[in-house]
Amino acid sequence: MSSDVVLVIVVATALAFDFTNGFHDTANAIATSVSTRAMSPRFAVLLSAVLNFAGAFISLQVAATVGSGIVESDAVTTTVVFAGLIGAIAWNLATWYFGLPSSSSHALIGGLVGSAFAASGASAIQADGLVEKVIVPGVVAPILAFTVAGIAILIAYRIVGRVRPGPVNRAYRLGQLVSGSMFSLAHGTNDAQKTMGIITLALIAHGDLSSSNFHVPTWVIVSSAAAIALGTYTGGWRIIRTVGTRIIKMDPAQGFSAQGSGAAVILAASHLGYPLSTTHVISGGVMGAGAATRLSAVRWGVAGNIAIAWVLTLPGAALIGAVAYGVSSIFGSGALGPLVVSISVLGVVLAFFGRRVARGQVLTADA
Amino acid sequence: MTAAAIDWGQLFELVWAGALAGVSVSVAFATLILGATRATDHRRGDRPRQASAYFVLAAVAAFAFAGSVVFGVWVIVSK
Repeated sequence: MSSDVVLVIVVATALAFDFTNGFHDTANAIATSVSTRAMSPRFAVLLSAVLNFAGAFISLQVAATVGSGIVESDAVTTTVVFAGLIGAIAWNLATWYFGLPSSSSHALIGGLVGSAFAASGASAIQADGLVEKVIVPGVVAPILAFTVAGIAILIAYRIVGRVRPGPVNRAYRLGQLVSGSMFSLAHGTNDAQKTMGIITLALIAHGDLSSSNFHVPTWVIVSSAAAIALGTYTGGWRIIRTVGTRIIKMDPAQGFSAQGSGAAVILAASHLGYPLSTTHVISGGVMGAGAATRLSAVRWGVAGNIAIAWVLTLPGAALIGAVAYGVSSIFGSGALGPLVVSISVLGVVLAFFGRRVARGQVLTADA
Repeated sequence: MTAAAIDWGQLFELVWAGALAGVSVSVAFATLILGATRATDHRRGDRPRQASAYFVLAAVAAFAFAGSVVFGVWVIVSK
């Protein structure tokens, strides 16, 4: 009975993380399109939500690899997974509050690393895997996207510089429909699967599924796809505003260069088996597209805050994950610990957002 | 944490392949815009030879851009 309750809590927490992943990362796909008026905000979030939903059904390969090579599989229990998810959700909400784009995948890995560390010590963490799968891509992605988007916009300006601006802007806005759609589809394929993988791991640990044959049940696929799509549709407008207008004031050509070349970088890297964070790529791309035309076009203060959030994502989510595991384990190994932590987190979130809604401070598509 | 954990060969491949893909997509789309716009202008100005040349340029660029989109979808689907 107790393990059933833990399973239900883990599944609900995983879907909650999936939701925050959706609204936190909406900016990656639509921020540049909205700021250059390639799409209306409502249409952009709807298109992105639909493509995230569709993307979640395309492949299940990522689902089978969640946490592998980073945390020792022996150390992963349902409570460790639960605490890791709490770390990731808390970090996503904190960075969303400050309007800072940060990687939801890195937050999830950070949360899992922290809770596994609290549960089993340093031996539970595979440092080499952490370097190879998180730290190196975390450094390479923004620098590569910055450079590529910068070169791309300079060449693009050379090519279309003498063409009438009206048709050029219209064409680039049209191109952003394509590049934004590619971002959304890739995001749905990658990120919804992480939640599927976590729920499936919990079902295996609970004994509902066989560990010898990794199989994601249909209800897990549908619920994960729906959660990330719903989160995307809700739209994390604070981050959309940061990526779309606060880093640089971009024209449609810059928007396309950041997004189009960013999508190409992500998919080329994915083809080589090197998954990059969509958040790092689009943010780096936006900065590169701005800096290439004029260094002072980039608000380096905002860019610096974003970089600090990236550096802090892993340790921040890990710390919260470790605390969540510690608090949970005070109440023993049963369902009471996760239940107390869940209710506490939910209470804090409701109290905070309830107050904000009452004050009318919530950013929306129209704000 | 050691430098040995990093596959430098794969990382180098990622950098040049990512750079090539990113710049190529942008160049293809810019060339498509240039070709299509100039083709329209020359057709309106009754210069059919120049219009045809720019039309071919736009068609080649459109083919390259569409190819990169199809490749991208294939990468997503086959993952």
